[in-house]
Amino acid sequence: MIYGDKKTKVIVQGATGNQGAFHINLMNRYAEEVGGYGVVAGVTPGKGGREIHGVPVYDSVREALLEHDAATSVLFVPGGAAGDSIMEAAYNGIELVVAITEHIPVHDAMRAVSYAQLEGCSVIGPNCPGTLSPGELKLGIMPVNLSVPGNVGVISRSGTLTYEVVNELTRAGIGQSTIVGIGGDPIIGQTFVDVLERFEKDSQTKAVVLIGEVGGNLEEEGASYTDLPIVTYIAGVSAPPEKRMGHAGAIVAGGEGDAASKIRRLEALGITVAQKPSEIPRLIRKTL
Amino acid sequence: MKLLEFEAKDIFRKFGIPVGKGFVITSPDEIDKHPDGLGDEVVLKAQVDVGGRGKAGGVIITDSKYARENAALLFSRKIKGISVEKVLVEEKLAIENEYYVSITLDRAKKMPVILFSATGGVDIEETAKNSPDALQRVWITPLMHDIPSFMMRRLLKGVPKELGPVINSLYRVYCESDALLAEINPLVTTNKGVYAADAKLIVDDNALFRQGIEVNRDLTDRERRAEKFGFSYVELEGSIGVIGNGAGLTMSTLDLISLYGGRAANFLDVGGGAGEDRVCNAVRLVSEMPGVKIIIVNLLGGITRCDEVAKGIVKAGISQKVAVRLAGTNESEGREILKKHGYMMLDTMDEVVLYAVSEASL
Repeated sequence: MIYGDKKTKVIVQGATGNQGAFHINLMNRYAEEVGGYGVVAGVTPGKGGREIHGVPVYDSVREALLEHDAATSVLFVPGGAAGDSIMEAAYNGIELVVAITEHIPVHDAMRAVSYAQLEGCSVIGPNCPGTLSPGELKLGIMPVNLSVPGNVGVISRSGTLTYEVVNELTRAGIGQSTIVGIGGDPIIGQTFVDVLERFEKDSQTKAVVLIGEVGGNLEEEGASYTDLPIVTYIAGVSAPPEKRMGHAGAIVAGGEGDAASKIRRLEALGITVAQKPSEIPRLIRKTL
Repeated sequence: MKLLEFEAKDIFRKFGIPVGKGFVITSPDEIDKHPDGLGDEVVLKAQVDVGGRGKAGGVIITDSKYARENAALLFSRKIKGISVEKVLVEEKLAIENEYYVSITLDRAKKMPVILFSATGGVDIEETAKNSPDALQRVWITPLMHDIPSFMMRRLLKGVPKELGPVINSLYRVYCESDALLAEINPLVTTNKGVYAADAKLIVDDNALFRQGIEVNRDLTDRERRAEKFGFSYVELEGSIGVIGNGAGLTMSTLDLISLYGGRAANFLDVGGGAGEDRVCNAVRLVSEMPGVKIIIVNLLGGITRCDEVAKGIVKAGISQKVAVRLAGTNESEGREILKKHGYMMLDTMDEVVLYAVSEASL
């Protein structure tokens, strides 16, 4: 439980769209199952006064918070408007925004994440599946049937690959404390380091699986940060180099964003790197 | 999407960044339609999107009298394999000094970084490697509208401060054009002032809609069709087609193929909640790629309905084999449908990839 528990009350921004409505229902079914509050209000500008699966919808975050005491928002607002919605949440005192939305323009994400930081608001994502603390709280779209409560934290840049790894862990009898999808976009709020900081303070978490991808150097930064036992897996070893970003970006990343050199650097730090997802349970068990 | 030099320069002009006088032609004859001279010498620049264009023969400096012949020569060339369809004809600048400036994204710091070097016109990766001290960099919060003076002084230590306004304008271009990269290499000083002698802009694909760009040129026809279907799709050169959901899982499937000694033909991420039609479109699209012997469908997720996926695979009815791994709702129904139509369904990623690699090597 690093982003909340059963007692966490949630609002959903972008509540009336297909995705928003669908996942309000799933989040609340899970909340019911574990005895939590779940989603207490929805927000869609211009759609105030409706109800979605019994959840009241408001025109703005401000109006929703006048009626409901919540500090966590899950965001399904479409790409072009999502940056604005993150800032709206931060401005109104929301402390955690989980931004599920894909295809947010990078400049919008950059501005929104910077602004949220000024307001003391943490952002998970964008372009992420959210987070799940099995038996406690689901924020986002992760399937719940693959996971069981336990001591292993999972952090990942991708969605379905996370489910794959969680599925492998569960099949091997290893439960999870909190699973966090931090998102695959170039600009994200919570990084590996931010999540690991929370895992370090979390008495439930004894080891962490860190699932990375090609590009950037966030995995190395994260892995070298913590004393918790870590097993990593990096996807994209076979990714073609010509699909990388332009020259200047590669310089900023130290010239080495590709998976092979990333894996070399992780191994140099003494971190265990799995070659494939199915190896992870065996490697994590060694650390416990 | 990468803009061509002349497109980037059109944008530069709007933001007050000086660029050389010039015009674009699509055939050598068009040179004569522009009687107003650009001076005794002109520069002919192939408008192709490749790095190291000059070294690859994509730039010709010529006496204006021979511009037409040289343009014909340039149009006949292939620059790193790419045909020349447009040529930018520009005045030749009387260059005194060359500099390098670019603005890009620092993912770790989550803000733009401005890079400046007093040695321009060369490969910036070389500069970074051989003389890292020559490369100045400052980070600017995206909430700022202009580059603060102290940052500019830091960048421009020991070089003419006239470069400052151009660099600030480049930052405005970077922000307003939703750029992932804005680069001037070289940025030059002349006796008439500062000019952007070259221009590079990469626009965020997620922001094309508000930059007035309707067609993403960086994609092949099949990639563009894939984009219309809502797939992320990249073509590779192997014989094993790959369809997955989620970029990470799909990438990981590609990695496993290569770990087991096979070669993937493509990367296709169908996205979340794929139903019968999406799966059918994806399978058909991949099967059309030349050289594909077998297709792996690896879908996983709480909301993916396996019976829908199975129907999509059957509906596609392609001639190649399909190896399927599904996990999600209605798994057993999906398995039944596939079995009835003679398709393989396997339980794990390892199994499905091993099977496909051995089939593809037959």
